[in-house]
Amino acid sequence: MATSIPIMGVLSNEGLTVAIKNEDKLKDVDAIQGHFESLDYICSLEIATAVFLAYHLEKPVLIEGPPGVGKTELAKTTAELLELPCVRLQCYEGLDESKAIYEWKYGKQLLYTQVLKETLGEILDGAKGLSESVAKLHDFGDIFFSEEFLEPRPLLKALKEEESCVLLIDEVDKSDHEFESLLLEMLSDYQLSIPEIGTVKAHPDKKPLVFLTSNNTREISDALKRRCLHLYIPFPEADLEKQIVQARVPDIPPRLNDQLVAFIQELREMDLKKVPAISETIDWARTLILLHTESLDPDLVRQTLNVILKFQEDVETVQAELQGLTSRAVKAST
Amino acid sequence: MSEMHDTLVDFVKVLRTADIKVSPAETLDAMQTLDIVGFNDRQFLKNSLSLVLSKNPEEKEAFDDCFDRYFTFDKFKPSESDDAPANDDNFDDDGEFETDSKQQGQPGGKGSGMGGREGGGEEEAEDMEGLSPTSELGKLLLEGSRTDVMVKMAEAGREVEVSQIVVFTQKGLYTRKIMDAMGLKGLQEEIGELQEVGGRPQNHLAGRLKKARDQLREAVRDYVERQFMLHADESGKQLREELLRKVKLSNLEKRNFKDVQEIVIKMAKKLIAIHSKRRKTFKRGQLDVRKTLRHNMQYDGALFNLKWKSQKVDRPKVMCICDVSGSVSNYSRFLLMFLYSLAEILPKVRSFAFSSDLGEVTRLFDQNNLEDAMAKTMRDYGNGSTDYGQMLEDFRSHCMKDVDSKTTIIILGDARNNYGDPKAEILREMYDKAQRVIWLNPEPKSSWTVGDAEMKKYAPCCHQAEVCNSLAHLERVVANLLRVAR
Repeated sequence: MATSIPIMGVLSNEGLTVAIKNEDKLKDVDAIQGHFESLDYICSLEIATAVFLAYHLEKPVLIEGPPGVGKTELAKTTAELLELPCVRLQCYEGLDESKAIYEWKYGKQLLYTQVLKETLGEILDGAKGLSESVAKLHDFGDIFFSEEFLEPRPLLKALKEEESCVLLIDEVDKSDHEFESLLLEMLSDYQLSIPEIGTVKAHPDKKPLVFLTSNNTREISDALKRRCLHLYIPFPEADLEKQIVQARVPDIPPRLNDQLVAFIQELREMDLKKVPAISETIDWARTLILLHTESLDPDLVRQTLNVILKFQEDVETVQAELQGLTSRAVKAST
Repeated sequence: MSEMHDTLVDFVKVLRTADIKVSPAETLDAMQTLDIVGFNDRQFLKNSLSLVLSKNPEEKEAFDDCFDRYFTFDKFKPSESDDAPANDDNFDDDGEFETDSKQQGQPGGKGSGMGGREGGGEEEAEDMEGLSPTSELGKLLLEGSRTDVMVKMAEAGREVEVSQIVVFTQKGLYTRKIMDAMGLKGLQEEIGELQEVGGRPQNHLAGRLKKARDQLREAVRDYVERQFMLHADESGKQLREELLRKVKLSNLEKRNFKDVQEIVIKMAKKLIAIHSKRRKTFKRGQLDVRKTLRHNMQYDGALFNLKWKSQKVDRPKVMCICDVSGSVSNYSRFLLMFLYSLAEILPKVRSFAFSSDLGEVTRLFDQNNLEDAMAKTMRDYGNGSTDYGQMLEDFRSHCMKDVDSKTTIIILGDARNNYGDPKAEILREMYDKAQRVIWLNPEPKSSWTVGDAEMKKYAPCCHQAEVCNSLAHLERVVANLLRVAR
């Protein structure tokens, strides 16, 4: 049972060129930063280093950080950059192997037994006595538990992907502890064990690039952490954030961008239930563009505050200091 | 490369003393990383190693700190350069030179010394007329790059196991040892020989070697100093923490409070890590019909995969009653601190404080930071004489209705009731209603029944009555509390 099944065929020529091209794209940190920028993903040096090492060490990356700083986006952008499919597994409480790794196609298996029953006569033709029939039945190839009846779920799919792929295991902290242990085999050896069939292994040259994200709602186990590179993405510095907004919302006038970012940066210093992340900054920038805004003013900010703040309590706290905040932000830009 | 790997292993040791958990597997990863990344770009190397070795935001911060401290070699002054800071050494050299040259009867000595100070390297080379140092260390100092010198120094450091340094008085010893290991003896002999031979170029070379030697000594001293900070400072801290855990809380001094607070938070974190997992218990034998039907739809409705009812175990509901009267306020301070830090896994902690009248401080704790909350609690409830009877009376009238079979009640106090009515029957009532009643008494067991202490009456009404007067005790009690709750 423990035979390992080669999933990949012979390396196709096309595959080889893709691999070489990707090698080139990820040849150093500056190149990665540049390529990401052309895909409108502005990243810090740390992030680029993480992608670089993940590719060259063939190790998964565990990305942690507050919500909305671009953790999931990083995986998607990497997939886009490498022109590989992105297989995504969203974690939630109660996620188990039948949803994450594989499932048997029960319906088809049932049909198969039906068909088998009907052809049983032919197979057992000429057999005398019970033992001989059983022996004949054993000779007959058993495909009941075989790959034809296997329904691959994201993890298995990622291993079987022809041209390698980017595997995104999103919000791993939402899953149960048991599931975390399930991931370990996949993360360290790029293989999965299916009891009925054996071990499925990724092609040594086509290992998927794995990203795990976590919002830190609970501590990830040490066993998992030690198998991964650990990248922490904090809220960006003002300059980086401006670049990000500029890249994502190209229409924004630079002056408004400055004000916007200064305002958001100051909000992050305040004692709020949920501080705005980059995604909120971008949403806000888009909102302001739609409203044909040239410059921040208190009234406008008041009206659009619900774009960046998601709790009524926070809105109230900020509204009390709106005047000061806005004028400081406007001043900062000039 | 293997030398660099040794350096890395040393670095990992440093990380471990700084409370960063690095497994051997991660060390191997780091070596691989090193092979890919190389040493040319410091920032790149730092980022890369940080990704591999430190696995949460706190560790990352500690890592940055360690990296900067461990890999500071920039301070080393290259022996060839005659930059400003080296001037002091030069004057010393001149002094030596004069005495030397007098002994030799060679008046030229001083002149060449002056030349060494003012002139650049090229001039000196001409001066020496093709003479070059023969001892290994001399060659290294005058001809090697400063990286070579640093590497050599680090190697020597490893050889004499400078990482074992424990107290600051050992600094001189290790400086000597490293100098010796680098081949000081050979250098000294060479200098001696050169001076014996005399002659202008020889003397000049000797002078330069001496200067280089003194600079090297300075550098080695710096190096040892840094090693001391890295290795001994941290292990000293560990030692201190270990002590603080065991010391009686009442004996702690104000200046230690900050340390203790750190330890408390650390302990709480550890407990959180162990217990944050909410467990399911499976009640075997009770069929979950709905789930079973839903799950078996895919099998054409044939029920062959049965689902059982499972139940999540609730985290314990804790009510904590602290005596904050003068005699035990020191202890309650730490219990409150501990519970405050544990809020993450024990979201349902309700805290009460009393001297005579009971008051709930839960909200106070929610809204203030630790320091303020403590101060306010002490201010509002701290003064007054202890009255356990009144406290229990208050508890019954206000909170008894909230006590259910999942509640754990922790009472911290010395049970010294000033000869008032103990009202143990109320405690008995709590005992019957709650899951557990735990009494933590900071006094040793022998004095539980002496004087006005009422432990004799209270103890039978508790599931558990324990002595608790150090952080280690406290940790054990809380850990037990969490374990029982599962």
